[in-house]
Amino acid sequence: MPPDAAKAEAREARDTRWSALMMAAQAGDGRAYDRLLREILPLLRGIANARLRDPAEAEDAVQDALLTLHRVRATYDPTRPFTPWMAAIAERRALDRGRSRGRRAAREVQIEAAEHIASATVPEAERGLARAELRAALGELPASQATALRLAKIEELSLAEASARSGLSVGALKVATHRALHSLRKRLGGGEGT
Amino acid sequence: MRTEELIAELSRGLAPVRPLPGPCTLAMRWLAIAVIVVALAVACFGLRHDLAARLAAGPDLRQMAAAGLTGVLAAIAAFQLSFPDRDPRWALLPLPAFGFWLADLGWGCLQDFARLGPEGLQLTWSFPCLGFILGFGLPLSLAMAWLGRHAAPLRPVPVAALGGLAAASIANVGLVLTHHLDAALEALVWHGLAILVTTAAAALLGPRVMRAAA
Repeated sequence: MPPDAAKAEAREARDTRWSALMMAAQAGDGRAYDRLLREILPLLRGIANARLRDPAEAEDAVQDALLTLHRVRATYDPTRPFTPWMAAIAERRALDRGRSRGRRAAREVQIEAAEHIASATVPEAERGLARAELRAALGELPASQATALRLAKIEELSLAEASARSGLSVGALKVATHRALHSLRKRLGGGEGT
Repeated sequence: MRTEELIAELSRGLAPVRPLPGPCTLAMRWLAIAVIVVALAVACFGLRHDLAARLAAGPDLRQMAAAGLTGVLAAIAAFQLSFPDRDPRWALLPLPAFGFWLADLGWGCLQDFARLGPEGLQLTWSFPCLGFILGFGLPLSLAMAWLGRHAAPLRPVPVAALGGLAAASIANVGLVLTHHLDAALEALVWHGLAILVTTAAAALLGPRVMRAAA
């Protein structure tokens, strides 16, 4: 068998397997879903990396794609191939990331200027410690809270944009952001005020 | 949060979902609602008294058919686009019928001008046209946004805008059955304006309805 034909056959077999896993996931099989998402991860990363140069940004786009895929999993028709359905979602999220990155570019200049002021007043070691502590606290948040916080407070998207990106409703986003800030305050020993 | 942790969280306690019906089934459901609503409106307002003569003459029947076809094709296109893996070129599906409809109205304007001179192109306000298409088109557009709410994180604006075009076109069929408007220019301007406003309003409000309902 020519190598191209063998590759095409392998791709077809893989798609059939993913389609079956997705059908099981639609029926509520969490293990099949976990396996499917782990298997498609390299492909999602490939799509995001092809669109976005910054690796961290690309990984965020992968997470956006996973959240969207989860939200619209009822739109998958088991009689159709799985890969184009998944790739369309991943392409969309990577494109959205690219666009919002462009919009953020101007704001980032201002933040860099502010960092210059901060470095004159706070010792480097202390800032490093605070950053590490914050990163650890962020890492412990549940997925929905971490996503809500990242989109609404760090990327400063509007609630509508954050909702479209994350797949969470506006109400759920508000609740998740509030809870995330509350957990961080508690963890980092801050007061209750905003 | 690491991506692998996100996957574990998404898989934990996964709720079963029923796969959505296909785009054509969803379009037929929406069309059934739209036809019932417009038929009820026609029943309330009553058929125009000279309908049989107008339909026999030709242009009104042609325009109704073009509007109806635009509505059906726009509804199918909207629901096709609401699924992630469908070709974006589905958005072009209603354009030939819509183009024919506008061109036919434009041709009517030229015929009025040839028959009556500049008087045939006089424009007067026609609030009932605007009111009918907006009054029925906008709620039907929002019903489409609700039925296509799964498109919220994917292509909400094109889906909502096509929903607006579909709703305004179906409402237009009802309008031709009830409202007395003979001049082609008036039909072109007021019906065209109402369709434009409905489509723009649907594109603006539809995504909000999708996000709120999703």
